[in-house]
Amino acid sequence: MTTPTASSKYFDFRNALTNNRIAGIWRMMSDFRLPYAAATAALAISAAAKTCTYLLLGYFADKVLTQQIYVAGTLNKTLALIGAGFIAFAAIEGSFSYLSGRLAAFTAEGITRRLRDFLFDHIQRLSFSYHSQTPTGDLIERVTSDVDTLRRFFSEQAIGMGRVIILFAINWAAILTLNTRLGLLSVVVIPLILVVSLWFFGKLTKRYEDYQAQEAILSTTLQENLTGVRVVKAFARQGYEMSKFEKDNWGKFLKGRRLLIMQSLFWPLSDVVLGFQMLFGFVLAATMAIRGEITVGDYLVYVGLVVWLIWPIRNLGRLIVQTSTGLVSYGRLMEIVKQTRESLTEGRVRPDGPVRGDLIFDHVSFMYEDGKVDALKDISFHVKPGQSIALLGSTGSGKTSLVNLLPRFHEYTGGHILLDGEELKDYSREYLRRQIGIVQQEPFLFSRSIRENIMYGIGRQVTMDEVERAAKAAAIHDVILTFPDGYETLVGEKGVTLSGGQKQRVTIARTLLKNPRILILDDSTSSVDTETEAEIRAALNELMEDRTTFIIAHRIQSVMGADVILVLDKGQVVQMGTHDQLVAHENGIYRQIYEIQTRIDEALENEVASVN
Amino acid sequence: MSDELIQIEEEEYTSNLTAAVFKRIMGLMKPHMHWVVGFFITIALTSCGDAYFTYLNKEIVDTGISLGNPAAVIHIATIYGSLILCQAVTVFSFVFLAGILGERIQYDLRKMMFNHLQELSLSYYAQNAVGRMIARVTSDSGRVADLMTWGVVDTTWAFMNITTSLIFMAIINWKLALIVSAIIPIMMIVAVQFRKRILVEFRRSRRANSKITGAYNENIQGVRVVKALQREDENLREFQTLTNTMFRASYRAAWLSALFLPTVQIIAAAALGAIVWYSGDQIRLGAMTIGGINAFVSYLTFMMWPVQDLARVYAEMQHSIASAERIFKLIDTPPEVHDRPEAIPATTILGEIEFDHVHFYYEDRNPVLTDFTLTVNPGEMIALVGPTGGGKSTIVNLLCRFYEPCQGVIRINGRDYTEYTLQSIHSRIGIVLQTPHLFSGAVRENIRYGRLDANDDEIEAAAKVAGAHDFIARLEKGYDQNVGEGGNLLSVGQKQLISLARAVLAKPELFIMDEATSSVDTLTEALIQRGMEALMKGRTSFVVAHRLSTIRRADRIIVIEGGRIAEQGSHAELLRLRGHYYRLYTQQFRHELEAQYGVMKEESEEEALAAD
Repeated sequence: MTTPTASSKYFDFRNALTNNRIAGIWRMMSDFRLPYAAATAALAISAAAKTCTYLLLGYFADKVLTQQIYVAGTLNKTLALIGAGFIAFAAIEGSFSYLSGRLAAFTAEGITRRLRDFLFDHIQRLSFSYHSQTPTGDLIERVTSDVDTLRRFFSEQAIGMGRVIILFAINWAAILTLNTRLGLLSVVVIPLILVVSLWFFGKLTKRYEDYQAQEAILSTTLQENLTGVRVVKAFARQGYEMSKFEKDNWGKFLKGRRLLIMQSLFWPLSDVVLGFQMLFGFVLAATMAIRGEITVGDYLVYVGLVVWLIWPIRNLGRLIVQTSTGLVSYGRLMEIVKQTRESLTEGRVRPDGPVRGDLIFDHVSFMYEDGKVDALKDISFHVKPGQSIALLGSTGSGKTSLVNLLPRFHEYTGGHILLDGEELKDYSREYLRRQIGIVQQEPFLFSRSIRENIMYGIGRQVTMDEVERAAKAAAIHDVILTFPDGYETLVGEKGVTLSGGQKQRVTIARTLLKNPRILILDDSTSSVDTETEAEIRAALNELMEDRTTFIIAHRIQSVMGADVILVLDKGQVVQMGTHDQLVAHENGIYRQIYEIQTRIDEALENEVASVN
Repeated sequence: MSDELIQIEEEEYTSNLTAAVFKRIMGLMKPHMHWVVGFFITIALTSCGDAYFTYLNKEIVDTGISLGNPAAVIHIATIYGSLILCQAVTVFSFVFLAGILGERIQYDLRKMMFNHLQELSLSYYAQNAVGRMIARVTSDSGRVADLMTWGVVDTTWAFMNITTSLIFMAIINWKLALIVSAIIPIMMIVAVQFRKRILVEFRRSRRANSKITGAYNENIQGVRVVKALQREDENLREFQTLTNTMFRASYRAAWLSALFLPTVQIIAAAALGAIVWYSGDQIRLGAMTIGGINAFVSYLTFMMWPVQDLARVYAEMQHSIASAERIFKLIDTPPEVHDRPEAIPATTILGEIEFDHVHFYYEDRNPVLTDFTLTVNPGEMIALVGPTGGGKSTIVNLLCRFYEPCQGVIRINGRDYTEYTLQSIHSRIGIVLQTPHLFSGAVRENIRYGRLDANDDEIEAAAKVAGAHDFIARLEKGYDQNVGEGGNLLSVGQKQLISLARAVLAKPELFIMDEATSSVDTLTEALIQRGMEALMKGRTSFVVAHRLSTIRRADRIIVIEGGRIAEQGSHAELLRLRGHYYRLYTQQFRHELEAQYGVMKEESEEEALAAD
């Protein structure tokens, strides 16, 4: 099922890794550079058409209205022609602006789609240790909001800056052609407005963050109040809560006002600066027109164009500030992208059939990447195909670390593990994981139907009949039938909530379907009540039939039947043998544990006897 | 994540726009009439000013340039300049007033809802997800405020702009103005149609987006299962269908938006063409000037923005109104548990408490508690035991009068407790919850919650009684240590000690404790036991018990199963029955003693990360 072609389904963003963020963004755009260039070109054509509209207006005023030159013969025909010209220019401007918008959207959404696909796949192929060290919330934050910031960079900021610059260039060129002095004097304040708007939007961003922070405080207060409603009511603290909320609520109002003052100052202030620049240009142009240095038509052209020259500049500051956040997001995403994946396919040994399940641990040791002490030290034992081996020990004794080595979730750092005589590291992870089934202590189910959860990851077509047989063997079939939609019932928020024991039996059914040669049972029935414990045990026994089985256990009861028992402490094997052998060993830990558990049973009997 | 889905679903519910709701929304503005009036005046002035600028431009051409009169240009420029300054003031005012009105209305709505939520009964909380309530208070209030401010700003500005432009056009040439007024409805219809379609796509993409976030979330949390079952390729395929949906919807929304403006522009250009074509006669007749034509071009160009704004407001209005309806629904929900008109304050609740054939259910078909009868003497300690979901918490909630019985009576001191005021009952109850709820802030403030006027000495004394003092003193900042959001920086045991101290400080007459099921270290456990004992002295107490020591200490044990009393009596009596209690007890006995003997005591949590 697993094919190496998976990575060809999307663009590999590891190619976009570079220290130069601009260059990185350029690389991200591969395949989309042409549409994006076309979008920019269309934008330029559209802007030129707009400029032409005003040029036509000037022509109309000078040639037709003032000099009464009729190109089409009569006035009416000329007017019709010019009217049609206006419509034609508008049509060109409109179609190309549409084309530009569409191409830019195509680029932005296209890059975003493949970025999402890549990140999703990349993350699920990163190693166990990466996932252990990275909080889910942080990853989610990056793959959602940072991706969206980048999307906006492509769809709004990059193209928006292009638009401002093109509008400026084309219209300025047109005005300069009209009259150089006029052109130069029309842009005097532009550097000023650019600097001011940069400063302003930087400031505004900060105030906005303040406002958002206050909103977060308000939400926390609200959330705590609503989830703690019983405490609030029990202490009759409604009044106190109201005044606490009032403080945060009013705080948000004040922060909002601070933000607002900044916002409401910028527009009118820049209006004044730009307005006077325009007025200055108008007076200058009008004077020149009166003196005959330019025609009335030229004046009209100038008045029309200067609007498109000056006003868009005001937005440039905002766009630049936003772009910088886009670059930050690029950096945050690349931190994920640069993590190395674990290879699923590499491995020298590729048997055709399933493994037999003969495992030899030969002085195996293991240390976590960030660890200081060995999590496992000098572990040696031998399990034959179909045998069961129990690992007994307290939390942190290394039981889980040991079984995590088998599917190569982690790599052992010393010694050898031989599976059917071959070094475990020489098998591909893909092959190993197909051979190994895991039933976890706290099973994870996906929010989809129970049927899909049982079929999850089986990797072949499974009939409903098979699913039901597995469920029956796992003693969960009858429970499933009591749910409103049977096997189609959704698990989780929108469907049923399963108890710990029920979840465990669903995963047992899944593992039965998978039919692995090696089985890992993280046996914890402590949270399950007595009746289900028996059912789960029966289901597990069914599962263990002819498979090499590792059982992680906390209680003697669960390990007694195992072929080999390893007692682990601080990453080392302190005792090994069958139940009978270990019990016979007077000073061993196993014997001690066994005795305590016997003593507990005696104490209980005594207590019950004493009340009789 | 799921909260976001809730919101999206709610948005899709289309409400009938009733005049009553709309009137009520507008009623929210009443207290802030001064802002409303100021804002309408300034926005009207602003749009008149905007239209007048264009008219002044025409005057420069017609009276200045065409007549060759430099003095007139200077004169007009002076007016123009003063107008710029006036506009700065009005623009600032209306942006600020609209913004402040919006912030204030949000503040009002949040306050109204929060205060009402404090009054609502626990049953409301049981039936409504906290996420929804938070959505009401945060996003719905924002949306309503947006409608009332920017919605109104845009509408007013758009109408004013169109009207004043038409008036000025009519002044210049009424016949040509008629042509323009004919296209406005066409533009409006086109714009609204576009907006609606864009909104549909936009919502589709939001829905896809929240599914994408969900998929990320699940895949990252379940990454170990995904790896073990080799589901990577299949997951990617599934994810790609999500990103494809997202791509289609956002791409469509984007190109529809890109098409929208050009379409309106072309309609405007058609009108312009018609004007030019028609203007020939008018110019010949002297009814039209060059400046006039130019003014028409400007008016037409700037008429597109208001049309666009109106369409947006119209499209979004329905959703804001739906938000308002949800807010009003919350505010209008009456609290189910409330003081009766003739209620009197209880002077003490330390007396006989009697449940007399009490029934409780949320829905008729699903009884939670059936025919529950129990008389408790003052000072007695009652332990409630039984399986989860059996009805233990409901008994506690009824006792606290968070709920009231659906049938039957609860009497305190021989009097139906609904005859007392809620405040007088609640202020005499001390409660410690299973999952102790703390509020973010200092330890000290959390304890003070029990009695707001307590001084620091009393707080410390209470902490000592509860056995919390020692661990608090060891905290880095002692009593001033911040406990984190929901108390998350502390362990469950520590949280429980603090909530015990809080209950001690309240000096309750009735003490209610829901013991934690999760294991707490032995020392803390002993402290909690001692604290509980101190609290129970001389008080009636109800404990939902999980610990043997608590159960053994109880005067009476009530076994609750399936909403009924299964067994009751003393520890010895119940053990002798060898029934429900016997089973529960023996299971717990083994469990606790194993932990006590340290059979598998917790050593370190180092491995836990990699283990789960």
